Amino acid sequence: MEITICIGSSCHLKGARDIVSKLETIIAEKNLADKIHLKGAFCMGKCSIEGVSIKLDEELFYLKPENTEQFFQDEILRRLGA
Amino acid sequence: MKLKVDISYKSLNKRNEELCGDHIELLKTENSTILILADGMGSGVKANILSTLTAKILGTMLYNGSSLDECVETIAKTLPICQTRQVAYSTFTILQIYDSGETYIVEFDNPGCIFIRDGKLLELPFYDCEVAGKNVKECRIYAQAGDLFVLMSDGVTHAGVGRFCDFGWGWSGASQFVEQHYSGNEAPSRVTSGLTEYCHDLYEQSPGDDTTVAAIRVIDKKPIKIFTGPPLNKEDDERIVREFMETEGTSVICGGTSANIVSRVLDRPLEVSLEYFDPDIPPMATMQGIDLVTEGIFTLNRVLQLLKQYNEGSVDHIFFSELDKKDGGARLAKLLIEESTDVKMFVGKTINSAYQNPMIPFDFNLRVALIEQLKDAIEKAGKTVSITYV
Repeated sequence: MEITICIGSSCHLKGARDIVSKLETIIAEKNLADKIHLKGAFCMGKCSIEGVSIKLDEELFYLKPENTEQFFQDEILRRLGA
Repeated sequence: MKLKVDISYKSLNKRNEELCGDHIELLKTENSTILILADGMGSGVKANILSTLTAKILGTMLYNGSSLDECVETIAKTLPICQTRQVAYSTFTILQIYDSGETYIVEFDNPGCIFIRDGKLLELPFYDCEVAGKNVKECRIYAQAGDLFVLMSDGVTHAGVGRFCDFGWGWSGASQFVEQHYSGNEAPSRVTSGLTEYCHDLYEQSPGDDTTVAAIRVIDKKPIKIFTGPPLNKEDDERIVREFMETEGTSVICGGTSANIVSRVLDRPLEVSLEYFDPDIPPMATMQGIDLVTEGIFTLNRVLQLLKQYNEGSVDHIFFSELDKKDGGARLAKLLIEESTDVKMFVGKTINSAYQNPMIPFDFNLRVALIEQLKDAIEKAGKTVSITYV
């Protein structure tokens, strides 16, 4: 599964780096590195929406850093069928 | 071929002195650059007056076409005579580099000019001659891109005297230091800051003499082009990307949307990294055929900060360790400072919604304001800048 995180200027301000490091930590803790591929992207054109733009495969989400764990449980694990 | 020069100089004052007894004079004539380093006898005010007068007279007269004989004669007649020593005295070195590469060096009692070519210390072919009754050394060579000339006062070669070494580390110590720290691509300010800081250490932070280093690097014209910001009209994207690609020089894209546009027009994939070399600067990306792809405002703001620091003049090893970092801002600043002479910018006028975010912690809500500040800073660093707003 591919997770694409926008690291453009606007998403940087909204905490993209926090989200990247939180996701990296969770993936390492859960030993999911072979199942999940983290990827960067520049501006996805949704700067005015609250939250960092994130794509799970082709579906777009807007994520705040503090909701990363919840998002991982709800969306990512569910998709992995775990 | 027209060569350019990149110049840096730095002095340490003798301990407890407010004024430096060494003086650097830099002049640009129509087709050459003249750098003069004079070291006045004694220290403090007296030395400062002697060296300033000497360097100013030499510079002004040479600029106006006088011969070296006339200059030296004038200096001999003008300098005030020292009460204690009954002589008027200032040593000097003159280095003149023409756009053609033709180079002329005259030395009067200063330590010899250090010359580095292709990363190697070479001996300059000096010959002795007499000018207005004084024994001076002259040398004529053709400089080429990458050459480095380092002038210094004897405070440099005497550093460490009586402490770490009986007679200071000498010309050989100083010249080896320069050879080790210059391979052909570094800014001369690395040499001046490195050498003066090392002398400061040899003097145990208390210089026994005024210590001055002046470095000139000879450079070729090196163009760089930067595309930043989406063009105002989407219809122009393709034309501007083509124009950008056809322009000569190292290619840089600053801005996520801009990078996406180039990727789309050229149909080349954009690989965005997630590696943060600096927590405040978003990661970079790679695209085939483009030398550097970075995020926009945060990166350019860092570039501006680094350029401003560089332009303040007293850069040290702390500055260069910042400049050698791997984040996009440091990389672009380094390209601009050390590896380019002519900067061409393609600046899109579309206002990015990211710019209107009230959370932006610094003072620019418009890309144009930032670009104008960057232009000033790059020009102050001695480069030419041209901007096309699109």
